[in-house]
Amino acid sequence: MDARSKRKKWRLMLLLHCLVLGLISIISFTIGPADISFREAVGIILGRIPIFKNWIDLGQYSTVDQTIIWSLRMPRVILAALVGGALGVTGGAFQAFFKNPLADPYIIGVSSGAALGATVGIVTGAATTLGLMKIPFFSFLGAMLTTWLVYSLAKTGKKIVAATLLLAGVALNSFMSAIMSFLMVINSEKIEKVFLWLMGSFASRTWQHVSIAAPLILIGVLIIFAMAKDLNAMVFGDSTAQHLGIDLKRVQLVLLLASSLTAAGAVAICGTIGFVGLIIPHMVRILAGPDHRILLPFSFLLGGTVMVIADTLARSLFEPLEIPIGIITALFGGPFFIYLLKKKKAVSL
Amino acid sequence: MNLSLEAHQITFRYAQENVLEGLSLEINQGDFVSIIGPNGSGKSTLLKNITAEFSPQEGVVLLENQDIFKIKKKNLARKMAVVPQETAAEFSFSVWETVLMGRMPHQKRFQTDSEQDLAITRRAMELSNVWHLKDRLITELSGGEKQRVIVARALAQEPQILLLDEPTSHLDLQHQLELLELLQSLNQTKGLTVIAVLHDLNLAAQFSQKIILLNKGRIVAYGDPAEVLTSKNILESYHIEVAIAANEITGRFNIIPLSKHKGKNKKARNFKIHLLCGGGSGVYLMEQLHQAGYSVSCGVLNIGDSDWKKAKELQLEVAEEAPFAPIGPAALQVNADLIQKADVIIVLPVPFGTGNLANLQQTAEALRIYGKRVLIVAPSQAGQYDFTGGEAEKLLAQMAAQGALCLPSPQEILESIGDE
Repeated sequence: MDARSKRKKWRLMLLLHCLVLGLISIISFTIGPADISFREAVGIILGRIPIFKNWIDLGQYSTVDQTIIWSLRMPRVILAALVGGALGVTGGAFQAFFKNPLADPYIIGVSSGAALGATVGIVTGAATTLGLMKIPFFSFLGAMLTTWLVYSLAKTGKKIVAATLLLAGVALNSFMSAIMSFLMVINSEKIEKVFLWLMGSFASRTWQHVSIAAPLILIGVLIIFAMAKDLNAMVFGDSTAQHLGIDLKRVQLVLLLASSLTAAGAVAICGTIGFVGLIIPHMVRILAGPDHRILLPFSFLLGGTVMVIADTLARSLFEPLEIPIGIITALFGGPFFIYLLKKKKAVSL
Repeated sequence: MNLSLEAHQITFRYAQENVLEGLSLEINQGDFVSIIGPNGSGKSTLLKNITAEFSPQEGVVLLENQDIFKIKKKNLARKMAVVPQETAAEFSFSVWETVLMGRMPHQKRFQTDSEQDLAITRRAMELSNVWHLKDRLITELSGGEKQRVIVARALAQEPQILLLDEPTSHLDLQHQLELLELLQSLNQTKGLTVIAVLHDLNLAAQFSQKIILLNKGRIVAYGDPAEVLTSKNILESYHIEVAIAANEITGRFNIIPLSKHKGKNKKARNFKIHLLCGGGSGVYLMEQLHQAGYSVSCGVLNIGDSDWKKAKELQLEVAEEAPFAPIGPAALQVNADLIQKADVIIVLPVPFGTGNLANLQQTAEALRIYGKRVLIVAPSQAGQYDFTGGEAEKLLAQMAAQGALCLPSPQEILESIGDE
C-alpha cells in the first residue's frame, strides 16, 4: 500500500474509534439503577461544556440525575477509559521493548510491583506528607524497580529469552504477592483498605481520582507515543535499533520511566487489572498492523473502550452486586492468552 | 580525508578471555575489505567493535578521525549501515515497511516519509532484488529473502560504509554471487566502502580488494588477496592444507582444501612414493596419495605439463625439465635421488618416446640393482604408449619378470599401498 493512503487510513481509523469510544461512554452513562435516557445524558454533559452550554438549559434535568451523571458515572467512565488506554499502550510498548508478543505489565509483574509499592505506601503511611500523590508515587517506584528487575533477569547475554521473561514474571508476581500479604497481615488494621483497592475496581471513584491519574497516564502515554518509531526499530533487535541510529540506552531508560509512570497511574487508581495490556495490542495489530505509530494510539482508544465496557458489565450484570473488574478481564483474557501461546508460531504476531 | 575507519590497539573481552588482543587496523574509503578467519577468531566481535555495538575495554575506534562513541548514533547511522548475521522478525511488518525504516536516521522524530524517502527505499529494494516481495510480511520470508531485505534496508540508509557479518550464510549460490556483485558494483560506482565478514575464502578472494585474516583475536595478515591467502597462512590459521590454484580462465585463484593437517597418519608420512608420470596420468594418484598423507614425489616432468602443475599445486618434490625438451642430465640426477629415497615407485601409463625413456631406464635399474619395489599401472592395450620401437615395452616386461607388480588401474594401486 502506498504510504500516503496508509496515513489517511490511519487517521480515519483513529477518528472513527474516537467516536465509538464517545458513544460507548455515553451509553455507559445511561446504565445503572437510576433510569437516565441517552438524550438526557448527552444534554447533561453538553450543558456543562463551555460553548454548548449556551444552547442547553440544565434546568430541564433533575439535580439528582445531574449529580448521578456528573459526579458518579462520569468520573468512573473517564477513569476506566484512561486506565484501559494506559494498559493498552504500556502493553504495546512492553511487547516491543521485550521483543515478545506475550509481554504485558500484568504478566511480567510490573503491575504487582506497582501494587506492592502502593501497599508499602498505605501500610507504612510513610508518605502522608505527599498527600494525594502518595499512592501513585509509591506505585511508580515499585513499577520501575520491577521493570528493571525483570529486564535484567530475562536478558541472557544480548537476548531476551521469552521463557525466562515469563518465568521471571511468574516468580516476581508470587514473590511480591507474598510480601503484600505479609504486609497486610502485620498491619491488620489497614487490611481492608488495601484489600479493597487491590481487587481492582472503579467503584466510588471521583473527580479527585481523575485529577491524580490523568496527568500521570497522559504524560506517560504521550512520551511513549513519541517513541513509536524507535519501538518499530527495536522489535528487530537491540543491535538493529542501534544501527538504525537509535541511542538505545537512552530510549530504553525513557521508555522504562514512561511505562512505569503510566502503569503506576493506572494501578494506583484501581489496583491490578490483568490481560487488557496483553490483548489490546494484539487486536490492534490484526486491525491496523504492527507499526507503533498507529498501534499505540489505537491501543489507547481500544483499551479505553474495552475497559469502559468491562466496567459497565462489572457494575450492571449482577446489580446491585458489583463484580471486581479484574474478574471480567481475566475471564476473557485468560483463554485468549492460552490461545496466543498455542498459536504463537503460526500467528507470529 | 582518505582514511575512513581506524582501530587503535583495541582489546575486547567478554568475560576473562580476550577475544581481540591489541588489534589495530586502517580501512581506507572506497575499499572492499573482507574479514576472514576460523571460527572463534573474533571476526564478528571485531565487526561489532568497529560499528560501536561493543565498546572495547582498551583502545579506540575512529571514524573519519572521530571517536566512534562520541558520534551521535543518528549521525553514525547515516554514515555507516550494518547487516547483522541474524535479525529478529517476531512482528509482522511488511517488507516495504521494514526497508523504509532504513530512512529513520535521515528523519526527525515526528517527520513522516517524504517522496524522496520512498524513492530511495524503492531503489534500494530494486538493487537487492526484493521489490517483488514488498507486500509480503517479513515473518513469512525464508532466511535468504530476509537477509536480502535487511541488505536493502542498509542500502536505504545511504551509508558511506556498509558492514556485513557473514551476509552470504543464508543464501544459495546464485544469491551469494548476486549480493557480492551488487556490493562490488556499489563499491566501484559509488565508492561505497564495504567491510564484510566472509566464510568462503574463494568468494573473499574473488571480490575483495583487501583481506584481513584474523586468528585468535589478532591480525595474521592484511593486504591483497594474493598476499594474504597463501597456503602457509591458511595452514597456520585454519589447520588445513590447501592448494592455491591460479585459475587461468578467470585470472583469479582458487583455494582447494586438501587434507586436515592434524589428522595426518604418522606412518604414512614416512612412507615415500615416487610417481613416474606425465601428461595428466598422475593427477589422480598424486591427490589421493597426498591426501592420505604419503610423501609423494614425481619425475621427470616437463614444466607446464598438467602433472607438473598438479605436483606444484600440492607442493610435491619434482624432478623437472624445460618444456618439451628431452630429459637432460641435471633432471635425471634429481630424479635418481628421488627414486633412491622412495619406498615404492609407481609407473603410470605414460607415452614413452626417446625423450623420456630415461625415466623408465632409471626405474628398471633401481629395481634390478637395489631391489626397489615397483608397481606398474599397465596400459589398457599393450604397446599403446610405446613410441620407442619396443624399447619401453621391453623394459616394462623385464621389470615385471623381476618382481614388479602389474595392476590394471590406479585404484588397485591405492588398495595395494593401503595394505601397508
